[in-house]
Amino acid sequence: MTYEEFADTRLAPLLRYAVMLTGDPHQAQDLVQETMVRVQLNWRRVARADSPERYVRRMLTNQYVDWKRGSWMRRVLLRGEPDESVPAYADHAQSAVDRDQIWSWLSRLPRRQRATLVLRYYEDLPDAEIAEILGCAVGTVRSSISRALATLRAEYVEVRS
Amino acid sequence: MIEDDLRAAFARHEPLTPPTGPLRAAIDRLVARRRQRRRRWQTGGAALALLGVLGIGVPLLTPERAGPPPTADLLGGSSRPAPTGALNILLLGLDGEGPEASRSDALLLVHIPADRGRPYLVSLPRDLGVPIPGHGTDKLNAAFPFGAGFSRPQAAKGYELTRRTVTELTGVRVDAGVVLTYSTVRTLTDTMGGVPVCLPEQVRSVHTKRVFPSGCQRLGGAAAVDLLRQRYGLPNGGQDRDRNARLFAAGLLRQAADQGVLTDPVRLARLLAAVGPDLVVSPDRAAALDLLRLVPALRSVEPVGLGLPVVESEGPAWYLRLDPQRAPEFLTALREDRLDDWTARHPKRVDAVR
Repeated sequence: MTYEEFADTRLAPLLRYAVMLTGDPHQAQDLVQETMVRVQLNWRRVARADSPERYVRRMLTNQYVDWKRGSWMRRVLLRGEPDESVPAYADHAQSAVDRDQIWSWLSRLPRRQRATLVLRYYEDLPDAEIAEILGCAVGTVRSSISRALATLRAEYVEVRS
Repeated sequence: MIEDDLRAAFARHEPLTPPTGPLRAAIDRLVARRRQRRRRWQTGGAALALLGVLGIGVPLLTPERAGPPPTADLLGGSSRPAPTGALNILLLGLDGEGPEASRSDALLLVHIPADRGRPYLVSLPRDLGVPIPGHGTDKLNAAFPFGAGFSRPQAAKGYELTRRTVTELTGVRVDAGVVLTYSTVRTLTDTMGGVPVCLPEQVRSVHTKRVFPSGCQRLGGAAAVDLLRQRYGLPNGGQDRDRNARLFAAGLLRQAADQGVLTDPVRLARLLAAVGPDLVVSPDRAAALDLLRLVPALRSVEPVGLGLPVVESEGPAWYLRLDPQRAPEFLTALREDRLDDWTARHPKRVDAVR
């Protein structure tokens, strides 16, 4: 497989994945861009992996988890104008609030925990594969998912009560 | 339920995903820029080789090996001072296209005096019997394959063992080294538009049907490699071949100086880019900057060619050995950077370059 073939089919799903990780299209673009530059420069090594797709997803996840806050937080915070790329929802008010709430709660989770949630509930990967991507034990994956879910549940209870 | 809400939230936010077209273009642009930077850096490595060939020195293995950051501009200033003191660069010409099963059939020690006067090209005969660290006594050219290993040869390791062997033999510290293959020499020669060589006698190739007449001629890449391989049929065999290698290196230097390549960074970079990443430089490529900054300091690019004084061994195994009368004096002069004295007293041992 060439880099071009890889990018043809995998760039869009990777970008979607990055949106779920970061919750922000601009950060997602930055994250994917940084990762894919390294992928292209080291393509021979990437292509040698059993599954280049999984290898790159792992690179991108690590990049996200290790990303230095300063580098992109600053950029995002300085970007003051409202984001036109965020679609407006036609739902009725209360539901829209709920929905935005769970999305914003996600952003308060530690990045590793958010990554596990995205990998399990968006990418639908088995725990073993999540563990491989994050470079940890399956047990660690399960405990960090349950911890993340517990945090979200606690928020729910707070809002509903 | 929270799991379902999560799935729904993710799915709902999918439309946030931006189009991939502009992103892909941005990635390609960034990659091109970084490759260019990398290439420029490799070019720097090749600069080391070329200038090594040309007899221009490099400062390396200074106590702190930290070079300028890799993003530093090749032509820009660096905080490290230009090297001072005498420098010795070891050039290995491999007998082949790569490290596989190769011996280093041409060993040339380039000595740059501290006063930056004429550089010296000192041939080390490949058939010289020497102690090779960890391998007993063998021919000098065996150090390369012993170091490189046989199953998956590594040129850098072959160079390293050769360097240690040469250091123990001569007592001279080797500051930098370059490993050249046939293809590197070919490319370098062709890119320079050929190299003028003046031969004292006719050489007839046993590999091709080429005949190199005595006198001056311009050699292309293929012819240059052919000439550098010839030793059968020469009056003094391997030693005549070493002399031809010195004449070639001197011609290459003259050619580069005549074309102004050495002082024109753009042309130098273009030339070196053509040689490519094929060659091995030691200790690392980061030294190239210092090297280039040495060029203006040289007072002369007309090298002095000579051979390490050796004699036929009386023993078996076809080894040469150091000339017990002349070699100690010569090596002392080399170590103490007094080769100008030595060559003045032994004019017959110096090549007639033109």
